Amino acid sequence: MTFVNWLKRRLVVIAGLLTLAYLLLPNIVVTVFSFNQPKGRFNYEWQEFSTEAWQDPCGVSGLCGSLTLSLRIALWATLGATLLGTMIAFALVRYRFRARGAVNSLIFLPMAMPEVVMAASLLTLFLNMGARLGFWTILIAHIMFCLSFVVVAVKARVMSMDPRLEQAAQDLYAGPFQTFVRVTLPIAAPGIAAGALLAFALSFDDFIITNFNAGSTVTFPMFVWGSAQRGTPVQINVIGTAMFVIAVVLVLVAMAVGNRRDRRKAQKTHRSPL
Amino acid sequence: MTTTKDTTASGNGGDVRLTGIGKTYGSFTAVHPLDLTVPQGSFFALLGASGCGKTTTLRMIAGLEEPTSGTVHLGDQDVTALPPYKRPVNTVFQSYALFPHLDIFENVAFGLRRRGIRSVKKQVEEMLELVQLGEQARKKPHQLSGGQQQRVAVARALINHPKVLLLDEPLGALDLKLRRQMQLELKRIQTEVGITFVHVTHDQEEAMTMADTVAVMNAGRVEQLGSPTDLYENPRTTFVANFLGTSNFIEAEVDAKSGDEIVLKAGGGKLVLPRARTNAPTPTGGKVLVGVRPEKISLTHADDAGGIPEGRNRITGRIADSSFIGVSTQFVVDSPVCPDFEVYVQNIDRDTRLVPGAEVVLHWNPAHTFGLDAAQSLLAGTVGSAGAGTVEEEVAR
Repeated sequence: MTFVNWLKRRLVVIAGLLTLAYLLLPNIVVTVFSFNQPKGRFNYEWQEFSTEAWQDPCGVSGLCGSLTLSLRIALWATLGATLLGTMIAFALVRYRFRARGAVNSLIFLPMAMPEVVMAASLLTLFLNMGARLGFWTILIAHIMFCLSFVVVAVKARVMSMDPRLEQAAQDLYAGPFQTFVRVTLPIAAPGIAAGALLAFALSFDDFIITNFNAGSTVTFPMFVWGSAQRGTPVQINVIGTAMFVIAVVLVLVAMAVGNRRDRRKAQKTHRSPL
Repeated sequence: MTTTKDTTASGNGGDVRLTGIGKTYGSFTAVHPLDLTVPQGSFFALLGASGCGKTTTLRMIAGLEEPTSGTVHLGDQDVTALPPYKRPVNTVFQSYALFPHLDIFENVAFGLRRRGIRSVKKQVEEMLELVQLGEQARKKPHQLSGGQQQRVAVARALINHPKVLLLDEPLGALDLKLRRQMQLELKRIQTEVGITFVHVTHDQEEAMTMADTVAVMNAGRVEQLGSPTDLYENPRTTFVANFLGTSNFIEAEVDAKSGDEIVLKAGGGKLVLPRARTNAPTPTGGKVLVGVRPEKISLTHADDAGGIPEGRNRITGRIADSSFIGVSTQFVVDSPVCPDFEVYVQNIDRDTRLVPGAEVVLHWNPAHTFGLDAAQSLLAGTVGSAGAGTVEEEVAR
């Protein structure tokens, strides 16, 4: 009886922990196997602990080259998609033009279209245009499919923004440019940042569209896929773990900075009356 | 603040002159072309129900709305073509529109910084002292209460020493008690800085408490303009008479004119109206609306009717309803000339016979009677007819 009561009181916590474990288990496996020293070519069975792969993450030929390429593409795609997406979002929220309704729905289509179909169609398009497959075709494709996500994220933010804030800025001697830089942009910034992060994540690990339109260029996801056919080097797990750790550290730092700023502010306001 | 006072003294730099200014949206006319002069240093209120065009008028002064016709002058300067950021005018917005990403200090410093002023610290601190928020400087707007946010909005506008401060329903979001407090506070600040305030409100009590001059607006037109006392005592239309306080109306017929007085027939009795208190045409035999405010009327039980002094206007009736509200008792009297005559009697000597059903005589000093043109709706400006324009106002925004 007491056990049932105990369970009842902690049911939410237990469910939460289980879900968290479900989410994180794959990451843990990746991390653990980055310290494995497999026999043979496949890193699927635990053999013995080793830091060999961590000491030489670029030890597999082509891996680090593909990683740099993926990072470069992801950065440019993020930049391009965020710029264009932010402008589209502002246009859709702020201006009334004839095709506004149509654009509003068309912008979501790339999200709904099966990725593999889109990939094939893009290839057809590029081939018909006589484009040489490689960095640029990948970048164009990535900006295209990241755009919708950026638009959605930024639009939500801009829509919830009180238009009177910009009127207030104008009323307080800020011209159109100053109003945008000092008021509009800072307030829209969280939406833009969310869109940019999403774009980076989507671009970095995209495989299907990239695989169709890369020609002989090899990005990191393509490298992993390709090597999985012949044997998986431990270094892949090392790169995966490193990315995960960097992301977690960034989140923690952002939280710490935010907390400290709040606390310092609170102290300041407490001190000032004295 | 002294610098502001100096400019105040020198000429009409802060006059607001609207000449033939009007605004239409498609086929809807928000503001009919109107002329209005707000004198330098005055506290001016635009009063009206929602949809009457008062906010549009204010926004045209601010430059946030482009007039369809007419001009806006500030002092001698024609600012009609200037964008809002080039007009020496600042606005306190409805719901304040404080910048959520900036703290209170930076909100207040915003206007100074945009004009390239480097050392803002002293001025901002002084301004925050004026609105009693010196200790909140580093907080974000959402950490403050509604009343505090309102004061930040005022400080953010006033720090720029505008020629005119525009206030768009600035107290609408506050609860009643805080509103009363802020009314006095705003009035104090206005007296202290001497800047022209143009205040838009739908609350007649607020307009009357704060403003030197009130313009009552209705359906895109200025219905009447004057001091609060003048508007209350001498309304020129039924709209103004009903919108500011409560009025009783009697339809009467002009019987005779003698000297300064007009004698009217209403029901079986006679009423006297001072000639100076009407601007309606009064040909003998013509119709006139006679108005009288509920608090001017005395109520006497029919048994004591003999004791009523000569020379007072009198009407008979029966008490239909009475409600005791502390400082006064409000009676509704059913009379042959007017079905719901409202009478407010101060609770000094309460006559216990004055209960519903009692026969009474209503009487008042003829000087308190005003006359209006009979060719208008008795109900204009009452609660039921006030909100008609709400939809258009929303469109206008």
